[in-house]
Amino acid sequence: MSKKSRSKIWFLVHSWLALPIWFFVLIVCVTGTLAVVSQEIVWLANPDVRANPPSDDAQRLGYDQIIAQMKQAQPQLIIESISRHDEEHFALTVGVSYPDGRAIDVYVNPYTGVIQGESPAFNFEQFTRALHGWWLVPFTNGYAWGWYLVSALGLPLLASLVTGLVVYKRFWRGFFKLPRLAQGARIFWGDFHRLAGLWSIWFIAVISITGTWFLIQAILGDNHISISTQAEAPVIAREDVPRAANGQSVDKVGLDQAIRIASQQIPGLEASYIALPETAYALLEIGGRGWYPLMYQSAEINPYTGTIAAAHLLGERSGLEFVTESMRPLHTGDFGGLWIKMIWFFFGLLLSMMVLSGLLIWSKRTAQATLAALKRSAKAERKQAIAAPHLALTQETSEASL
Amino acid sequence: MNPSAINPVPAPSKLNRWWLKWRFHLNILLLLIPLGFMPRYFADVALFRGDSGLGEREVGDVQVGPWTLKLAEFRNEAPQLDGPAGYMKHFSAALCERCINEVKATYLRIGKPRSLRAAGSLFEGTPHRMIAEVPIPKRATADAELWITLEGWDGSMHQASVPLTQASPATVAWLEQRGAKR
Repeated sequence: MSKKSRSKIWFLVHSWLALPIWFFVLIVCVTGTLAVVSQEIVWLANPDVRANPPSDDAQRLGYDQIIAQMKQAQPQLIIESISRHDEEHFALTVGVSYPDGRAIDVYVNPYTGVIQGESPAFNFEQFTRALHGWWLVPFTNGYAWGWYLVSALGLPLLASLVTGLVVYKRFWRGFFKLPRLAQGARIFWGDFHRLAGLWSIWFIAVISITGTWFLIQAILGDNHISISTQAEAPVIAREDVPRAANGQSVDKVGLDQAIRIASQQIPGLEASYIALPETAYALLEIGGRGWYPLMYQSAEINPYTGTIAAAHLLGERSGLEFVTESMRPLHTGDFGGLWIKMIWFFFGLLLSMMVLSGLLIWSKRTAQATLAALKRSAKAERKQAIAAPHLALTQETSEASL
Repeated sequence: MNPSAINPVPAPSKLNRWWLKWRFHLNILLLLIPLGFMPRYFADVALFRGDSGLGEREVGDVQVGPWTLKLAEFRNEAPQLDGPAGYMKHFSAALCERCINEVKATYLRIGKPRSLRAAGSLFEGTPHRMIAEVPIPKRATADAELWITLEGWDGSMHQASVPLTQASPATVAWLEQRGAKR
């Protein structure tokens, strides 16, 4: 096969990877881009989630003080979990339940313990993630088929990257070629598509590989294959849970003390979230990022004695887990504060634009080529000529015709 | 890539032209999937938050010794297969306001437990809203009973039962169907 016709085939493959599903790919890219900054969008839209200090020198309260303040304001609520955002300007998210049976998140000011508001029934962050991640298809038994539908896009995306680089002759020279503005829309979008693609090589590789991992994760999960080194959550033995005379409550370790114990015994353990025991026999979990920012580590503490019953630390993870557990934060850009999110957001936008520009290039060229072919076929009917279609195919598929 | 161009002899019909023009935009119809699932999505959000109550179907208040418990089917549906663990059914419950400080643990089981150690699945959550996942025994029949065991902080134990026909008609229907197949 000649070099020219081989590159033509690569070009066709490159076009066909996204073209028939361009709108689906576009919406997945756009919702993913929004999901990266969804917390920030909520922060802008909803004052309840902001952590405004009452004065310039205000100090953040300890968790025991926060709980005391919350209980004073709403004596009947029961706290299930507390989590602190990576960014200081976010309020604490506290999972609570009410006597009417609702179990929701409330936003609490970390300086005053004031409950600033309840999470709304429409949760923008969850909605964009659900739309992006599984196309809103419900999880009934195992992973939703929408999850498979979206995560399978990782494969054509990866193939688009590879074929795009194969088709683009001497692409390494193109990093500083600005799009030509004066020569019409088709030329501009062609130049844009190539320039954006070059600068996005790393990003497209990250998104497509991590996206493909989500597909593998679903396949493993639905076949009940686990690669985790984490032991089953231990429970407290029946005889070790204290008894209390009727109406009296048993003594429990305070949250601040539990955090102190955990961070003394496990150096480097950060307490960015706390999950309170879900039963009288369950443990209190404290966790946060370790020295490797892409993964979390946690400790489980007996709430009656304050001893550490189990820990899931970075040092105990297998090499494979370091790879697989890094996949999700790499995909979402949620591992190093606002600036990394902004980089992911920018390249997410660029990727969305690449879907659109790819479509524009194809449709403009195809529209013309189709028109030409139709005209020719009308003529051909009269003249019975068969040479023209080959020409049309050449025009449609040549990279040189951009 | 253009069938009518490769084979130019038949004149392009109207349908053919429409196909050529719109074939790459048909995937916009994929948007109907999330649109169609949207009511279900928001119903699920309301269910998980408890905005629509304890569960999809309230069973009612059950007196267990000195305490009462509000029981509900989390989903009004037949048991679901959970891999090697077998068929599972979720129930949700809330303790009465007075019992919150007195009750240490709440258990649920299909069939009468022989002892506290075999009291069944532990309810997890808070006394306001807790959920238990109950395995359906292989030999369970439609006339089975759902047993609730409450354990007090003082060591006391109280039990009560609810016929499955009352607790979960969907499970009974499923059991009857399963029995007929055997």
